[in-house]
Amino acid sequence: MASIGIIANPASGKDIRRLVSYATIIDNNEKVNICQRIVLAAQELGIDECVFMPETFMIGPKVADNLENDGVMKARINVLDFEIDASMQDTVTAAGIMEEMGVGCIVVLGGDGTSRAAAKAIKRTPLISVSTGTNNVYPALMEGTVAGMAAAAVTHMPEPYSCCIHDKRIELRVNGELRDIALIDAVVSSDFFAGARAIWDPSRIERIVVSRCHPATIGFSAIPGAYRIIGDADPCGFAVTLKQGGEKVLASIAAGVLTEVEISDPKLLMLGEPYGFTAEQRCMIALDGEREVAVAPGDRVVMTVTADGPWRVLPKKALEEAQRLGMYRR
Amino acid sequence: MAISNELMKDMYVRMRRIRDFESTAAKLFAEGKVPGFVHLYLGEEAIAPAVCECLRDDDFITSTHRGHGHIIAKGGDLKLMMAELFGRETGYCKGKGGSMHIADRDKGILGANGIVGAGHCISTGAGLSIKLRKTDQVCVCFFGDGSTNQGTFHESLNLASIWKLPIVFVCENNHYGISMSQARHQAIKDVADRAAAYNMPGISVDGNDPLAVYEAAFEAVARARAGKGPTLIECKTYRQHGHFEGDPATYKPKEEQAAWMAKDPLPRFARFLIDNGVMSAEEVEAVDKKVAKEIEDAIAFAEAQPIPSPESSVVDVYSDIVEEVRER
Repeated sequence: MASIGIIANPASGKDIRRLVSYATIIDNNEKVNICQRIVLAAQELGIDECVFMPETFMIGPKVADNLENDGVMKARINVLDFEIDASMQDTVTAAGIMEEMGVGCIVVLGGDGTSRAAAKAIKRTPLISVSTGTNNVYPALMEGTVAGMAAAAVTHMPEPYSCCIHDKRIELRVNGELRDIALIDAVVSSDFFAGARAIWDPSRIERIVVSRCHPATIGFSAIPGAYRIIGDADPCGFAVTLKQGGEKVLASIAAGVLTEVEISDPKLLMLGEPYGFTAEQRCMIALDGEREVAVAPGDRVVMTVTADGPWRVLPKKALEEAQRLGMYRR
Repeated sequence: MAISNELMKDMYVRMRRIRDFESTAAKLFAEGKVPGFVHLYLGEEAIAPAVCECLRDDDFITSTHRGHGHIIAKGGDLKLMMAELFGRETGYCKGKGGSMHIADRDKGILGANGIVGAGHCISTGAGLSIKLRKTDQVCVCFFGDGSTNQGTFHESLNLASIWKLPIVFVCENNHYGISMSQARHQAIKDVADRAAAYNMPGISVDGNDPLAVYEAAFEAVARARAGKGPTLIECKTYRQHGHFEGDPATYKPKEEQAAWMAKDPLPRFARFLIDNGVMSAEEVEAVDKKVAKEIEDAIAFAEAQPIPSPESSVVDVYSDIVEEVRER
């Protein structure tokens, strides 16, 4: 039986950046629509089962109801049965279960933070990340139909990794203990509370470490990206500090918001090379845009870019390979 | 966003004041000392104090049937509030309004309100007044998730957006409209989603974290004051008691109640303040004692006040303007 996993985060796309910038709005009913298109496309390419993460908006059951009502449901909808707590942990748990079940691909709908949560739990399952969040560097703006086709194609391929890129990640250690990971950026903020979680104020930012950066991205990775481009396949990351007297760059730190910031101490970080500092005051480390890890004065913080991120599907390449393999022929 | 230690301490004082007032009101109601209905703000204390920290004395708020927390957060007088709950002559409404009608025009408190959804319209009127008078005041409209199914919500957001009124709509989503869970009364999970239909920013925050609420409210109030129009902030929270005192709330699953009690904003914020060196445990204890004394004093004041005379029941029924019209 061929199956795919679908993780749709009902909390993505509603944070404070809709107030302090001009971020995209995607409501939960549109997420249901996107999931319907994923399921419809995947089932036409031979997917028998779509495994959904349980969540508070009940996207999986809504997809099943709608498609059954329309008489177009062929695949089985399986909503995982575990106790949810409406937090990021639900995504971590669901992704882990889906990998154990052996789904051929996991499609994640959300922002950078949702993909990060899924990446924490999977090692080998190819990931398709569809943007329904805010500052989306990791997820791509993608039509659900294409995501469903790509997920099905990868599931049926003998060599799925040939259509994937093995992403980098940033490992965060505090006093020697691995505390968390980021896929794109780890940002040290002088805030000492999580508050509204998202970060948007560059005056509170002290350091930025990225696994990749480009001026075409939105968010804090755009700041080093305005200085130097690091691609997703480059065997390195990059770090800068933000302080007065540094080199001025203009960067798109949020949707519609280009800000001038001063950067210093640019440093290329080779894979595995630690980037560390000792905290002088209380601060928060934001991972992929959200304040996550509190640090106390005297804590030793080390961030390392590694090659141990998820296998990210390249949808266009997957669809081309599917064509070469004759998957569309009837 | 920088939030000073002093501001955090003040937020805690306001939260503690509300918690103690409401816990005491529950006890007094059970003892039969408070006539009428009371709807308590227990569990939602992180919201109004954080929002009102962003307001000036001359800014307005509108409230709901669950209004004690809003009024205390905006600076309402505990003694006058308690006297009103006791139905005494010197209470906020001369003992005739009770829990659901407390107002204080001097403090910009445009009134608690027993009619679900009425505050939306009042805040829109206040916002229009601000705009016409060309001041830089702001009006905050507090309301619950249930009221967002009322026409008043949609009409008010529409007008506020068209006219770019300086209003911050604060939805205290406690997940229940009386006894009906949000999942049974709304086809959406996030009330913030409704903002897009009215072309205004809509965001969801953790309503049990005063710092999350403050960050959102600060930006929204600044936006309103700058003439950029209204914002909808949804604060996810939980009503720890029933809809009203005496409601056993058997419709709430025990597991749900337990999960939200574990996120009780009072002990959570106190722990944060202590762990981060903002306040010592002794300072928190001193605040708790000081507030407890304030509540004791309010009760003593209320109990000493006269009960309104039967004749006063026909006084203040009509406003002066109506009397003037009659005379003509």
